[in-house]
Amino acid sequence: MQQMSRTLAHTIVALAFMALLTLACLQVPGEWNWSGVWEYRQKFLQGWLVTLGLSLAALVLSVLIGLVVALLLAARNPLVEAVGRIYVELIRGTPLLVQLLLGFYVIANAVGLENRFVVGTLVLAAFSGAYMAEIFRGGLDAIPKTQRDSARAIGLTRWQSFRLVILPQAIRLVLPAVAGQLVSLIKDSSLLSVIAISELTLNAQEVNSFTYSTLESYLPLAVGYLLLTLPLSAASRRLEMAFRYER
Amino acid sequence: MQLALQGANQLLTRLAQAILITFLAVAGMLSPSEGSQPLHVGMELSYPPFEMTDTGGKPTGVSVRLAEALGEYLGREVVIENIAFDGLIPALRTGTIDCIISSMTATAERARSIAFSEPYLTTGLTLLVGKDSPIKSADDLDQPGIRVAVKIGTTAHKFAARDLKRAQVFVLNRESAAVLEVIQGKVDAFIYDSLSIYRHHRRHPDTTRAFLKPIREETWAIGLRKGDEELRQQINGFLKQFRADGGFEKLGNEFLPEAKAFFTKNNIPFYF
Repeated sequence: MQQMSRTLAHTIVALAFMALLTLACLQVPGEWNWSGVWEYRQKFLQGWLVTLGLSLAALVLSVLIGLVVALLLAARNPLVEAVGRIYVELIRGTPLLVQLLLGFYVIANAVGLENRFVVGTLVLAAFSGAYMAEIFRGGLDAIPKTQRDSARAIGLTRWQSFRLVILPQAIRLVLPAVAGQLVSLIKDSSLLSVIAISELTLNAQEVNSFTYSTLESYLPLAVGYLLLTLPLSAASRRLEMAFRYER
Repeated sequence: MQLALQGANQLLTRLAQAILITFLAVAGMLSPSEGSQPLHVGMELSYPPFEMTDTGGKPTGVSVRLAEALGEYLGREVVIENIAFDGLIPALRTGTIDCIISSMTATAERARSIAFSEPYLTTGLTLLVGKDSPIKSADDLDQPGIRVAVKIGTTAHKFAARDLKRAQVFVLNRESAAVLEVIQGKVDAFIYDSLSIYRHHRRHPDTTRAFLKPIREETWAIGLRKGDEELRQQINGFLKQFRADGGFEKLGNEFLPEAKAFFTKNNIPFYF
């Protein structure tokens, strides 16, 4: 058993899961109607592209926001730290749905920001950024103080010790959590449908309401998200390998 | 050892007998005739005054009353299932509910998937327009630069997707969000049924205008599974009797007195 290659093991288990899913689907009464969904394939593609664009933009922004807020949280000035802390607690403590509705219909409206995509991306990025900030802060905190002290002791400046000693260790620590958060972000983008952004989930729901083929509309939806999240997971694993110093 | 096995054998036999008897007794209690099984009625409780909840969270409204009267007529207990509008037909087809009483329009397309009773109400697609919007009449609707909101799964959604080629269509899953968009000027018009548009305009007289002449007339009916002919006949019988007894009159006066008066006065089709 131990000699089985990892790829083979993954393939076998994936196939087993799919077999179980197929069995469950076959229990649904009535015939399958794929023709209706095939007719609307353009909608699925368009929705997928919108989700891709939104997720990428929000992804990059949220990492930036996370870094900035993590720095705020690590600041020695109590006011600066408070800004970071209140931001994180507010954003993590309220549902994304509420943030989207308030953000678009109240805040953006007051500020005069009309574009749905911009507002949606900003809200999504701010949401994910709060979680990122905590992940980064946790990673930095986990590095023992002795690392910093030793680096300074051998003559590295504060910036050098951060860049050459602390950062590589911190990156290794936070990588799995960051990847998880980014995957979450891609899936959370489905909520942007509440402000009528025509992303993948809304498009699948529309196809469902036109064709009444629920399963046939939502299965491609699941596949669409997997197409976005699986590469991200794979890339993250590769990065983890690259940063490992004990192989 | 032998004695122990014999004892175990006896115990198992007794246990099996007990289980069998319990099963039969319970099965006896649970296999009633079709008539006394509860009738599961599906509706989306976010459409006042037809489907809504009172302050205590209990379902109430025109459709709820109609469902209760139907239950009385059939001699079956009624269970109201609160399901999102675009999930009603799938729920009906998989057997989660037995019928749909949710102010659902009977369309040819829906009739491909489910069956409908006789219609019980006539209404139409109308517009809620923002006060600053350039729309002056229904003809201004399908122009480039016009933004239209619809609720997902409604006939307005279908109409917008098929017939509005130049206007931009925004699909929302909440009626309240669509109204907010009109008020804030994020869209020019919201297409929905005449009664709701009237009520929304009454609630926001300064920020909206209502075009209540229908761009398309529609009828509402009760949705049923295809092949459920017995229930369909029963429901049609119920509707005929309910109308003859003045049931619809009473519902109109209880829930929609103002709207009824306004619509009748202005010759807008809305009648039970």
